[in-house]
Amino acid sequence: MWKKLLSVPIALAIAWTAPAQNIDVSTLPPRDSVQLTIYNSEDITLVRETRHVTVKQGDNVLQFSWANTLIDPSSLSLTFLERANDLELVDTVFPHGRPQALYWNVRSKFDGEAVVAISYFTSGITWTADYVGITSDDESSMTFDGYVTIANNSGDDYADASVRLVVGTINLVERIRDLASRGLVPPAAVLESESRMRDMPAPAAEAAKAVLADALMERKEKEIVKQGLSEYFIFTVPGEETIRNGHAKRMRLFEGTKVPVTTVYRYRPMEYGDQLVKLFLVRNDKSSTLGDSPLPDGAVRLFRRQPTGGLSVIAFVPTKYVPIGQEFEFNLGRDPQVIFERLATRTWRDDFWFKRGDQQKLYSPTKGDKVNDNDTVVGWNDHEARLERVRNYRGAPINVEFRFPISGDVTFVSSLDPTLFDFRTPDFKTTVKSGERKDLAYELVSRQGTNATQNAVKLEAAK
Amino acid sequence: MHSTRHSTRHATRHLGGALSALIALALLAPFATPTLPGAAADVKLIALPKRDRVEIQLDVPGLTLIEEERTIPLAKGANDVVFAWANTAIDKSTIQFRCMSDPENVQVISVSYPPNENALTWQVSSPTAGPAKVRISYIIGGVDKSYEYRAEAANDEKKLTLWQYVQLHNRTPESFGEADMFAGYGERLERPIGANETRKILAAKFENVPITKTYTADLAQHGYLDPAKRQLKIPMHYVLKNDAANGLGRFPLQAGKARIFIADGKAEGEGTTAFLGEDWAAFAAKDDELKLFLGVAKDIVVTRTIERRDRKKTAGPLSDYDIVVKYEIENFKDQPVSIDLAESIAGLRAEVLGDAPRAIEWVLGTEGSLKTPDALKSTSDRVLFHVDAPARGADQKAQKKTETLNIVLKNEW
Repeated sequence: MWKKLLSVPIALAIAWTAPAQNIDVSTLPPRDSVQLTIYNSEDITLVRETRHVTVKQGDNVLQFSWANTLIDPSSLSLTFLERANDLELVDTVFPHGRPQALYWNVRSKFDGEAVVAISYFTSGITWTADYVGITSDDESSMTFDGYVTIANNSGDDYADASVRLVVGTINLVERIRDLASRGLVPPAAVLESESRMRDMPAPAAEAAKAVLADALMERKEKEIVKQGLSEYFIFTVPGEETIRNGHAKRMRLFEGTKVPVTTVYRYRPMEYGDQLVKLFLVRNDKSSTLGDSPLPDGAVRLFRRQPTGGLSVIAFVPTKYVPIGQEFEFNLGRDPQVIFERLATRTWRDDFWFKRGDQQKLYSPTKGDKVNDNDTVVGWNDHEARLERVRNYRGAPINVEFRFPISGDVTFVSSLDPTLFDFRTPDFKTTVKSGERKDLAYELVSRQGTNATQNAVKLEAAK
Repeated sequence: MHSTRHSTRHATRHLGGALSALIALALLAPFATPTLPGAAADVKLIALPKRDRVEIQLDVPGLTLIEEERTIPLAKGANDVVFAWANTAIDKSTIQFRCMSDPENVQVISVSYPPNENALTWQVSSPTAGPAKVRISYIIGGVDKSYEYRAEAANDEKKLTLWQYVQLHNRTPESFGEADMFAGYGERLERPIGANETRKILAAKFENVPITKTYTADLAQHGYLDPAKRQLKIPMHYVLKNDAANGLGRFPLQAGKARIFIADGKAEGEGTTAFLGEDWAAFAAKDDELKLFLGVAKDIVVTRTIERRDRKKTAGPLSDYDIVVKYEIENFKDQPVSIDLAESIAGLRAEVLGDAPRAIEWVLGTEGSLKTPDALKSTSDRVLFHVDAPARGADQKAQKKTETLNIVLKNEW
């Protein structure tokens, strides 16, 4: 079953407006080469194929059809790679009743062979990245390998294709899959003929497989070439790959042999929810045996090497795109060996202010004012003594970082040497020794009612 | 190539079925295998190496990792290794191939996933011909674990023996043979795991673990047994601490069902046990308590009343509320007991003042008999006291013991 065919009708001298009437014999030139440029941010692949076609001096019709594929017909283009000055693409005809076919009307100044490049967008070919990290026993370092998987559900087989993978976000105004299914509105002039075509025997393809088989004897793992281009990054798979419709293929993208890992525990409810989570921090740079390319977003599977040589699962987590040089993190969730409790140990109030009737003046007993039973409380300070309690049952000290927002006009009183992450978010850290229970105490003074003049947190050292 | 791979998978399935193996590994050396002139081009050498070893890692709930070690014969050059499975929920994206014998040189070139099949093909390069020890690991569904406990208390309820069992549930039709298993804590276990089999394994046994039998009076948490009489519900627990001092503390105790028994007190060798009940034991980190619920006490009666609610004006509309909560305790048992009396401050304020959208300022008053709360377990919202209740007297009458808690809610309006 053929799906996508380029044919050169034999009857070449037929008028443009009604070409290929009753043509029933065509030759199908095989692809000389095909290149796939696959984007991961959108379902779009740029296919560029080259073919040899035979033309006669005068007007020629090239038919291209793509039944049962996901090609965007609006993207199809034809260019001449040789003798471009002697060849002219006069126009392109999308025949009525055949939404997945077109005719290129080509005018030639010579009889002979021409090399053409046909490019188009298709959907259904995707690539994804994924990563496997295996930490050492003490979790101080890991091997971190990246992989790419190319999946072809485009409806067409791509044999011996050179493959490029693009990392980066492109802007599309319409989805290629929609364009492929919707097709184009055909022009008034229709081409109604149906061509029956036959595949040109392709002994060359068989020969190529034999060559590939021999080559495979010596074949080593391919090293994918990484290269920056504008805002994008292109991974080029060396050589050629055959990716049949419905199949997927996974290859290694890079190998991080000894990647330093920093372990930190964080309580940051805005980022990780209301829990103390364990994180691995890694940097995508040369010193980490990484940094050859950005890391595309993908699934990360983290394991720990066991003394038996086996693995145990640490976590399966997603990662976002990581530029070269940037630190990235893996959220491993709660660690059952580190117990975290948030405790309020005491609450009290003071600095009351009262309002009397409609008077603007406010009264404070602590300032010596006398207040009446009918006065209204309009301002006061709430005090809350709190503890962040961390118990570390791991065999090594842990670094714990806190960052949480506090609403209102608040003074954060402590000896924790905090800083402000933003106007309402204290940030402080500590180290908890193995086996230690550490209480981090602080007091929140929240000014309420008329006492509140700001909506921000101030830091104050405990006396 | 196409016909080769097709026939390969075909053969794998056939052999897999013949060996009753649902997870099958086939090795092909299509380019290295010499073929006779005129022989069919798709005649291939297919080997189904047995598993040398299986490890099952159960430490992360929901992510059971199977690692199987096999020795596969590799030809020099490229080899196709097909891994196929049926009726088994293997997460295809997690399957890994690692060479243990020569990891530097035996490497996976690529992995191919055929459509609509539970199979993949590794293209593996080897610098030499010969056997290679490899590990294939994958996440599998239908294989998980649960914990179960048997707690057998001594007749005097001062100590108990705790058995921790881990149950491996294999709900797949795959037999893993003698498997090395790690549940996340404790010792590694090695047991055969058959298809659709659950195996219950004793993971740990802790003998003579000191326990405290607690009776808890906490209105906010457990409510009334008889609201009209203000009689509190008094749940009973065996409490054991997961620390080294009590013979535990080697690892956190995982959540699981606990069946609780008590020795009948007869001489050793003659005695039996009685079933006290069962409870879902919660996860207990090291140094935390494991509480096993035994039911509601019938022989301990605690009546809680608000004995006093005095409003004392302080400044303007501000008032302090001086509250005395009275607990009348009767122990109808022939043993003295310790009762945990807990009071929620928020609950108490709602009871005497109604709800208010303000933090509560309070202090312990000086008039109550309960003066020293448990410092570690009390917070700004909950105070906890431990009270001894004497056994009933020789006349079989329970001695009524009265305790009072004086709480002053401050600066309310």
